[in-house]
Amino acid sequence: MSDEVTTVAVEPLLRLEGITKTFGGVTALSDVTLDIRPGEVHALLGENGAGKSTLVNIAGGILQPSMGRILYDGKEVPHLTPSHASALGIAVVHQHPALLPDLTVEENLRVALPALFDDGTRTGSKARELLSVVGATCHPKDRVGALDLAERHLIELAKAFAVKPALLILDEPTAPLGPDATERLFALVREAAARGTAVVYITHRLAEVREIADVVTVLRDGRLRGTFAVDRITDAQLLSLIVGRDFASTFPPKRAAIADESTETALSVEALSGPRFSNVSFSMARGEIVGLFGIVGNGQSEILRALAGIGPSRGTVVINGERCSARRRRQLCAFIPPDRKAEGVFNGLSVRENVTLAALGRIESRGLVSRRQEREALLEVMSVLAIRAPSTDAPIEALSGGNQQKAVFARALLAKPAMLVADEPTQGVDVGARAEIYQLLRQLADEGVLVVVASSDAKEIEGLCDTVMVISRGSVIDVLRGDDVTEERIVTSALRATGHAATSSARGRASGATRLRRFLEGDYAPVFVLSLAIVVLGAVVFGRNHRFLEPFNLTSLLMSLAALGFIAAGQTAVLMTGGIDLSVGPLAGFVVVVGSFFLTEGFSVGSVILGFVLMVVAAAGTGLVNGGLIRGARFTPVAATLGTYIALQGLGFLLRSSPGGYIASSITGPIKHTVGAVPVVFIVLLVLTIVMELALRGSRLGMVLRGVGSDIESTRRLGVRVGATVVSAYVFGSLLVLLGGVVLLAQLGVGDASQGVGYTLSSISAVVLGGTSLLGGRGTFVGSLLGAALIVEMLNSTVFLNLSQTWQYLFQGLVILVAAAVYSQARRRV
Amino acid sequence: MAEEQLPLRAIRARVRASRGLTTMIIALAAVLLAGLLFAPSSVSWGALQGALPFAAVLAIVALGQTLVVMQGGIDLSVAGAISLGVVIVSHEAYGDNARLLPAIALALLAAVLAGVLNGILVALLRMNAIVATLGTNALLYAVVLGISGGTPRQTTSLMAHIAGGTLLGVPNSIYVAVVVLVVVTLIVKRTVSGRRFEAVGANPRAARIVNINVQRHVAMAYVGAQVLYWVGAVLLAGIINKPSAFQGDTYLLSSVAAVVLGGTSLLGGRGYLVESALAALFLTQLEQLVLALGASYAVQTLTQAVAFAVGVALYTIPWSELRALVRRRRTRSAET
Repeated sequence: MSDEVTTVAVEPLLRLEGITKTFGGVTALSDVTLDIRPGEVHALLGENGAGKSTLVNIAGGILQPSMGRILYDGKEVPHLTPSHASALGIAVVHQHPALLPDLTVEENLRVALPALFDDGTRTGSKARELLSVVGATCHPKDRVGALDLAERHLIELAKAFAVKPALLILDEPTAPLGPDATERLFALVREAAARGTAVVYITHRLAEVREIADVVTVLRDGRLRGTFAVDRITDAQLLSLIVGRDFASTFPPKRAAIADESTETALSVEALSGPRFSNVSFSMARGEIVGLFGIVGNGQSEILRALAGIGPSRGTVVINGERCSARRRRQLCAFIPPDRKAEGVFNGLSVRENVTLAALGRIESRGLVSRRQEREALLEVMSVLAIRAPSTDAPIEALSGGNQQKAVFARALLAKPAMLVADEPTQGVDVGARAEIYQLLRQLADEGVLVVVASSDAKEIEGLCDTVMVISRGSVIDVLRGDDVTEERIVTSALRATGHAATSSARGRASGATRLRRFLEGDYAPVFVLSLAIVVLGAVVFGRNHRFLEPFNLTSLLMSLAALGFIAAGQTAVLMTGGIDLSVGPLAGFVVVVGSFFLTEGFSVGSVILGFVLMVVAAAGTGLVNGGLIRGARFTPVAATLGTYIALQGLGFLLRSSPGGYIASSITGPIKHTVGAVPVVFIVLLVLTIVMELALRGSRLGMVLRGVGSDIESTRRLGVRVGATVVSAYVFGSLLVLLGGVVLLAQLGVGDASQGVGYTLSSISAVVLGGTSLLGGRGTFVGSLLGAALIVEMLNSTVFLNLSQTWQYLFQGLVILVAAAVYSQARRRV
Repeated sequence: MAEEQLPLRAIRARVRASRGLTTMIIALAAVLLAGLLFAPSSVSWGALQGALPFAAVLAIVALGQTLVVMQGGIDLSVAGAISLGVVIVSHEAYGDNARLLPAIALALLAAVLAGVLNGILVALLRMNAIVATLGTNALLYAVVLGISGGTPRQTTSLMAHIAGGTLLGVPNSIYVAVVVLVVVTLIVKRTVSGRRFEAVGANPRAARIVNINVQRHVAMAYVGAQVLYWVGAVLLAGIINKPSAFQGDTYLLSSVAAVVLGGTSLLGGRGYLVESALAALFLTQLEQLVLALGASYAVQTLTQAVAFAVGVALYTIPWSELRALVRRRRTRSAET
């Protein structure tokens, strides 16, 4: 290899030395050495699965190498973590952006780049400045979840360029971008390199290597194929280095050459279009296996789903002369999904149940599953596909990946489909099982089943398929048949593609979100709806009975609201993280019981202080137990807080089996103190709510809290300690419940373990009314306060309207259901 | 025996005890044994006769809750549903045996309507199960209070005779519970729809790919649950002399506790029906034991909380991983 770069004038910024990485026996990288120099754009080339992304994850500190050294600026870094990497000035732009979908663009930038936003400049203009650098057209207040892929990717790029990194790693950055954005990105990369930034640029496209890179390294099968100066190597040389990897699997012989041209057309697809693909037309003959090849994410998966009737599409599909709707296609086709765990297997069910599920119609007699016929069906399919398992009654998840995949295939076989559509049929499958699967696919094709396969493995496509369609950016760019179906032809065709994504239509309303729309999709729409409802209801009741707004009633209303408001705020803090706290009601009652032992008439100041301290301990302890059970012992939030719910009730009754311990008026007096008609505790609640609301919106802590509920994995990747955040949310929530308990203490005036329980359900009602999502990630404290206000007002108003308890329940039920239905529908349209 | 080529005889279906079944049988045996040793009155014939009807009702209700939990949901409307069933049967019939049957039929109609409402909200409108059933619960209580005005009434002598009576010394309600358990188990475990139902709970996305109507199966869980609550409510109306309007409230927590103890995951998936019923029996008998020991309501509740937490931890904590970790630590410290 005489062409290798020999100019070592500049010391490398990052040196990866002899890196080997294995995943449970599979070697992803072996003995790779790479030097990244400042001021240089270093392209990393290789097929899908060549080990490029693994290498990037090691350089970014996300993965630890099994063997080898990492040297940064000449010094060895023994244990690189993501936060350490970013401290060293390494910025990684991943293929899958680490963004929090429920947060706005601006908030995402602030969570990721805390240091940049501390200098006091207005966050809005700062965010706009960062976005304009990469040419993103979204508004800083747009919710990230509502943006399209390209726009999200630009935000991720903006984050990387904002920190002016010493080393910038871009993992296929142009995949979702249109031509303009790509040009702008190239300019930015050149500019950065000119400033002395070292750039690692991963790509599949040769054209891009030519355009931007100085040096190129080729990887194949996790091994280094060589590093070259771009202007000293030809495309043909590069291609020969990329393809031609060893392949241990044996393929069945292909279909005999089609003798006469009149072979009947068994499938014809015309102008099939859908998300991420457009205008796909082709036809296939019986006996053929058709393969789709493309770089991952170019729309091949979506085309397959559309064919099988699972994904959305327009266009015509004719199978065996019958024009089929998507619904009909679902009946005729069996689909093998690419992500076995997510869509293929039914965990917890047995191998037998997994395999026979799609053929239940054939093995039933009078509505019951016939054990005998089920056994026969299993025997039939197992004679074709040997699934290795302790027994067919073993749970599916106990099998190896290859055997799980064989079970998925067995299920498809038993369904006796007219067409088999398989997306990545051998993903995560060992060599032996691969050969069996290839054999099976060929056999099916011979039997007349239409077989369509997509794979990101060109060698597999070459070995298996009679006809290959090369897909790029959602369109068929090349069709190869017969002897043309070679790995080299397939890869060349895909890598040489220079087309860009049809982003003009796909971008949709990325930048077009109007102010009104942002408001409706935002968290504050419920606040206005609720305010309106509260005022209207108040006016109606006042119209009927003027005593409704008299100071006495107003005070008692606001006292009740204070109790529920604090507890609902606590519930909100927990729900924001995607959890739920059922124990809030019993906790509120419990702190009253605790207080009733210390805050009674005639007790010393010391004991009063002790009482309050113990109440705080009880609340914080409850939060810790809840958080600990969830994060430590892996309880679901419902199970954990249900346990503490029952325990707190028991403890309450243990301390006081019957009501007792009258609270001193010197304690209840100040709590009940009013300014005019307004209780002081309500003012405290109001101020606290506003402060918490501002913190939730404006502080990094608030954003992190919402981030955890929005996407816990991305939050972790941003360097947040998610476990500690969740536990803190439960503790903080419980402390707010404590404040509600203090109000309750003054209202009740006596320790009573049976009180408080009802607050669990009413707090959830209040929070739901306020628009906080039970899925986590979005919500407002103000909304919860108003939700609580509406509930308290409703309960109170039935008294003034002379309505029975029936109406109280009716109103509550209807209001909750209508609110939840409206919110969920409004947000689903996003 | 490691993984090996399947011998054909292994394809024959085998009945194997689930972890929940073993746990629940051991727990039940322990509670009975502890009763024999420390509080013989808790296992006396009279005490059992008094407790078993309530265990039967809880078992039936827990079966309903299991159906919903299998679909990854939770049914908070169980409280309102049982209260409504009890109130309709006792108020509509009001001591008149002739009006008993229409009253029971009316209660069934109400139950089906409630189930359909929950089903539409959760499956079609994709509302969160907690919110949807919370709302439905309030609506059900509105009807309860509309009918009863909050005042209890006595049921008819016939109902009391049926639900409270015994056959061959065993409370009738136990027979009902066993029949219900058998029927539900048959439907879920043996029928085609039951198989699909379980698959939808295990992985709705995969179920969609094999062309199963996910929404219909999820909705059916809520309807089926309400029908089971109805059976429990009708029994309860006969067992309790003067049922209150809020008779269902206690079943909210205890039904969820029984489901979780039985081993059905709150995240959905395989349902453990027999286990749920046994867990209901266990919880009731645990209560009896603690009562017979002279403990207060407080201790009784605390015992339940501990049993619940231990039960959940059995399933959630990866004990084998922990054991391996401890072993590795030990060998490492032995080396150094």
